[in-house]
Amino acid sequence: MSGIDDPRIIEAARREAPRSGVLGWLANILDAITGIPGKWRESFRRGPVRTVALTVLLGLGVAYPILALYVLAPFSRNVFPLPLAGDTDLVFMLIFATMAIGLNVVIGFAGLLDLGYVAFYALGAYTAAFLASPHWSGLSFVLLSDVPPGFPGIHIAFWFILPLAAIVAAFWGALLGAPTLRLRGDYLAIVTLGFGEIVPVIFKNLVGVNFELGPIKLVDANLTGGPLGINPIDPPNLFGIKFGAVGGVAPVYLAMVIVFVSLLIARNLEHSRMGRAWAAIREDETAAEMMGVNTVRTKLLAFALGASFAGLAGSLQASYQGATTSDFFQFSTSILVVIMIILGGIGNIYGALVGALALVYVDKVLLAWIGQRMQGFGRSIDNDAIAHLNPASFNFLIFGIVLVAMMRFRPEGLIPNRQRTAELHEAPPDQAIGSAAVLGEAAIASEAQAEAIAEEVASEQGSASQPDAPPRDPDGAGP
Amino acid sequence: MTAEKLPTDIRTGVLRDEELLVKARGVTKRFGGLVAVNNVDFDIPRGSIVSLIGPNGAGKTTFFNMITGYYTPTAGEISLDRKTIAGMRRGRIRSLKPHEVTALGIGRTFQNIRLFGTMSSLDNVLVGLHVHLRSHFWDAILRTPSVYREEAAAREQARQLLDLVGLLDRQETWARNLPYGDQRRLEIARALATRPKLLLLDEPTAGMNAGETRDMTDFIRRLRAELGLTVLLIEHDMRVVMGISDRVTVLDYGEVIAEGSPAEVRANPKVIEAYLGRGAADQAAPPAAGASPAQSSSEA
Repeated sequence: MSGIDDPRIIEAARREAPRSGVLGWLANILDAITGIPGKWRESFRRGPVRTVALTVLLGLGVAYPILALYVLAPFSRNVFPLPLAGDTDLVFMLIFATMAIGLNVVIGFAGLLDLGYVAFYALGAYTAAFLASPHWSGLSFVLLSDVPPGFPGIHIAFWFILPLAAIVAAFWGALLGAPTLRLRGDYLAIVTLGFGEIVPVIFKNLVGVNFELGPIKLVDANLTGGPLGINPIDPPNLFGIKFGAVGGVAPVYLAMVIVFVSLLIARNLEHSRMGRAWAAIREDETAAEMMGVNTVRTKLLAFALGASFAGLAGSLQASYQGATTSDFFQFSTSILVVIMIILGGIGNIYGALVGALALVYVDKVLLAWIGQRMQGFGRSIDNDAIAHLNPASFNFLIFGIVLVAMMRFRPEGLIPNRQRTAELHEAPPDQAIGSAAVLGEAAIASEAQAEAIAEEVASEQGSASQPDAPPRDPDGAGP
Repeated sequence: MTAEKLPTDIRTGVLRDEELLVKARGVTKRFGGLVAVNNVDFDIPRGSIVSLIGPNGAGKTTFFNMITGYYTPTAGEISLDRKTIAGMRRGRIRSLKPHEVTALGIGRTFQNIRLFGTMSSLDNVLVGLHVHLRSHFWDAILRTPSVYREEAAAREQARQLLDLVGLLDRQETWARNLPYGDQRRLEIARALATRPKLLLLDEPTAGMNAGETRDMTDFIRRLRAELGLTVLLIEHDMRVVMGISDRVTVLDYGEVIAEGSPAEVRANPKVIEAYLGRGAADQAAPPAAGASPAQSSSEA
């Protein structure tokens, strides 16, 4: 059998990817970029309406923050039936989109139910808080930050913190995953649930710590800022442009870039050797293991990589807001992200994106706007009950109803994944047909065998070898 | 390669160590009080087709699962190509993990087909190649040229394997949408993708009609001839077993009750008893009538 190292195969492969090394990689990227118009034409030929609609939507999405600021805002009340999302809302929509894309790697690709995802979000946020704030006032360390040298605290530029937060989150993801990923299904969900609760509680309580171990001596040390959290955290800064909460549209575009990179990474992972292994594990873990997939390591990788996206999101959130407290990271956030990917379509990265944008929009913009309208309406008809009704406080009730409706009418989500759709809609009847077919064929097979026996018996009439005792194996043919 | 060309006559079973691909000694598996496999010695000569037969519940699949590392034996030793799969290490019996055994060179199919249903035929085979691909997740994230090359080479090889089993034109079809016979063949292609030295086939002709069974038997012979594989077969269809095997081992209640060439096993009164009961064995005892009851045993 010819192996992968067979010269003919290598030759065939070289034709598909002609270059090697860093330059080859850059050339491949250049090819991919210059290939976009061609791909667009191809897609247009197949489905012009869909392609044009998606292109326009993408363009509007990218231009939206600027449009909203300069063009739409003055007219919005009259022109649009729905409220516009402001800069802060947009940043949070995109932060949650990053998280949804990451959680989709864990739940959608590898099929591991992680209910403590907020822990990694918190780890990302506190990584940014520790490394870009005056919190460690005894120290002074400035690295490529616009903070003047000699300023108390550690101040590292956001562009270093961003990947570092991803690594920290992935490290803790691996550490948590190592003992727990041998568990399957429900048990894993429960352990992650615990981790999601533990991490914020630790951040809340590591204040006033007294601790002594050898040379390490802490007296009433404030490690995490306690319930007050840590602030101010340095905003991201590039050539004097600040990407903080008062930065206008700049942070929206920063978040957009992070979401775009997250999408690319998730897509590349899905279509790689690892993505295939994840899909195989989701389909049949035992068979995957028998085919040479190291299931524990592969699941661990999904868990850690998924966590790293939350690390990115967390560091962006902390740097953008300039503050972080443990109250920000609650169990409900974990659930919210799970709802996002269910709503969008588990296993589909674009579904995760759409689910996150839609849900945060409803949560932060739409419900508040409806609340204002209702208050106005309540006051105008002098009805106190309506005037004091706040729909935003019913957000989880509303999400719950949406989720139930979704499960009833479109369980595969808004933008479904093909495999999931097949599993949800066809699995039971198809399996039934499949097994019926197997049984049917088995029955045919045993009929044929029965005939063979009959012939043999007929040909050996003299020897009287027909057994009287019943065989111990009545169903020899079928599994 | 035919049996005649092998260094020692593998039908007689007197073999030197280096001629054995698999060597199992004193293998026992207990589940609580139940002894599923009891003190089994079992050899698979290189390049042979060996069958493991026995009534349902005899311990065949349990034995299979120990060879592939899915179960750890309670006692005994198993080795492949003189590398230990299971055996005593640091005070207790330890076994390689299934994926490690796969990497060592054992590929298998399943009694009840276990393909990845909503993945394409090509992807199913590519999962089998997983163990031989080296790219890391960062390569995948960055889409480096080496990943392109490796993936292209892997796809090319997967297509060759699909061609070998006659499924090249179905490469984009989801495994679960393939006809039953094709699914069996796809499972073999997936097992071959792991580049096994030993191919374990668990009832490869179950549920097949006479024509399909003949095709499968020819195909297994071809695999040995063209790829130099060693094959271990669990099979209930005695025509397949007797027609294809160089050697047959019979398990009953977890113990080896007979071993030898198909003709020897067929004539063995213990085998007839295990399959058909004592009465049949007594009746079959006259040598002239010995052959046929064992042959028709599974069909009863």
